[in-house]
Amino acid sequence: MGNLTNETILIVDLASGETYKEDIDEEFYESHIGGVRINLALFEKYQEEDPIILGTGLLTGTLVPGSALGIVTAKSPQTGKVCHAPICIYGGMELKYAGFDFVVIKGISPNPVYLWLHDEVADINDAVDLMGKDSWATTDELRKSLGEDIIQVLNIGPAGERQSDLAQIILNYWATGDRWGFGKLLGQKNVKAIALRGMGIFDLEDEEGFVDACADLFKAFKDEPSLSGKKGIIDIAAAMGEDITDWLSPIIHRHSADYNCPYPINTFVKYNEDPTILKETDVAETGFYLTDIYGLLEFKKMGLSAEDSCRMLEACAREGINAVAAADLLRKTGKTALNDLKQAVSGLTGPIESPEDSVFSPWSPKQPLFVDFGLPDDGSRNSEWWVRRQAVAYLFGIHPIFILMAPMLTEEKLINAVNLGTGLNITADTVDEAIKKVCG
Amino acid sequence: MDIKIDPIKCIACCACELACGYHWDDAMSPITSSIIVYRTREKKNYFGLMLKTEENLVLARPEGIEIQRIGEVQEGVEADPSAKPIMLRDACDMCDGVDGPLCVRFCPTGALYL
Ligand code: SF4
Ligand code: SF4
Repeated sequence: MGNLTNETILIVDLASGETYKEDIDEEFYESHIGGVRINLALFEKYQEEDPIILGTGLLTGTLVPGSALGIVTAKSPQTGKVCHAPICIYGGMELKYAGFDFVVIKGISPNPVYLWLHDEVADINDAVDLMGKDSWATTDELRKSLGEDIIQVLNIGPAGERQSDLAQIILNYWATGDRWGFGKLLGQKNVKAIALRGMGIFDLEDEEGFVDACADLFKAFKDEPSLSGKKGIIDIAAAMGEDITDWLSPIIHRHSADYNCPYPINTFVKYNEDPTILKETDVAETGFYLTDIYGLLEFKKMGLSAEDSCRMLEACAREGINAVAAADLLRKTGKTALNDLKQAVSGLTGPIESPEDSVFSPWSPKQPLFVDFGLPDDGSRNSEWWVRRQAVAYLFGIHPIFILMAPMLTEEKLINAVNLGTGLNITADTVDEAIKKVCG
Repeated sequence: MDIKIDPIKCIACCACELACGYHWDDAMSPITSSIIVYRTREKKNYFGLMLKTEENLVLARPEGIEIQRIGEVQEGVEADPSAKPIMLRDACDMCDGVDGPLCVRFCPTGALYL
């Protein structure tokens, strides 16, 4: 293994059922940096075979605050363009620790399969028994059969299997930032899931220099006064001008974080048991983990209670569909009763509004959060700033929402961390070129 | 002296695992850390921490802190999945020789303290 990387691309050829690895050399990292830029290069290389690319950044899974990001790149069935979706919580880091910085999934499998990527080994396994299962049952089943409860499972629900345009890649049980219909692509390829687990270890060029740089960034985040006391989805919504405190608070259980994010971006709500219970009970499915702020707000806008909104998000995640698109279509049905809405989820079909023209997922709020970043108050520069911030996040492997509240993660500091950790000589010019290429 | 843990403040970010892994391996890896974020009950959102010290296994769960003597660790604890079972890992040495315990330094919430 190299510094901060496995130096490995995995190629999965679904048509032949074969997998093989390719090395990544230093020059390639020096010119392409990693993350979304290498994803795009791999997409272009294999584009004749409709690839789905999974990738990580050089900083994914490291002590740099916010290092949670994995990236899925493919041609969106919704927009017809090459787009990028974030994989957070523990999914991004687990891909890298499983031994693969990048994975190219190409061709179509003749039979339903799942990929099991673990400890530098890639297996293509039969998934016949998983077909028809929702994303929760798929995750439960794979964790049981593979023997570990913290295996990360990218998967599709029934919506992906029937190749719905709304299909979203789900991470374990929860929504992701896939607003591009990538779940449909996995369905077309006959890939039900990608299970990830690994024990990687990444060397550092300048050990102390790298860790000191991480500690400085970390301290700057902790010391930022605008962030003091902020946590969870309620405060993010407030920063977006949506006051959901009274509405959501009664069902909040706890807030928790994506990998190495010092801000807990996600909030768990309980509606199948008292949310104030912290100890473990026998209730197996207690509620839902809120990872999609816009999905939540869309159901709120329909006039649903917080509990019903969260139950709808659960229904969407089980089915494996994008909750924002689902809420939009459900609104048009005129249905308002929870059971009617839940039942309608499995039959939803488009047309759906395409997310606007950015190549980065609109799952991440298009504005700074909590801190002003020196932008004008009228929001006139937010859009251009957001694209650059997302590009930087997707390039290095930083959580795309976390980077909107972390002004200390400057491009200069991230480049410095990469260079200390890897011994590469990445420059601001290389970053500019990479971003230009990715943003088109 | 051991690290103190307030499990309710923990947000399961795993920074402590990475920091401790660095202490043992001079690399980025959580597989040898003396502290493990216990996160196997994902659908219940039930999580806590396990810390191996010279003499004890400290289980810091939402219910509170439970200390089990090494050698008398109850069944089931080792079965909790991790890259390397915690009983096979080095015991916390309070980051011997380093300027302040690294896990405490990187814990964003004050869940770990001295
Ligand atoms: S004090 Fe040091 S050795 Fe002990 S758990 Fe924390 S990081 Fe590990
Ligand atoms: S660093 Fe602190 S908040 Fe994060 S998992 Fe460890 S104890 Fe919990």
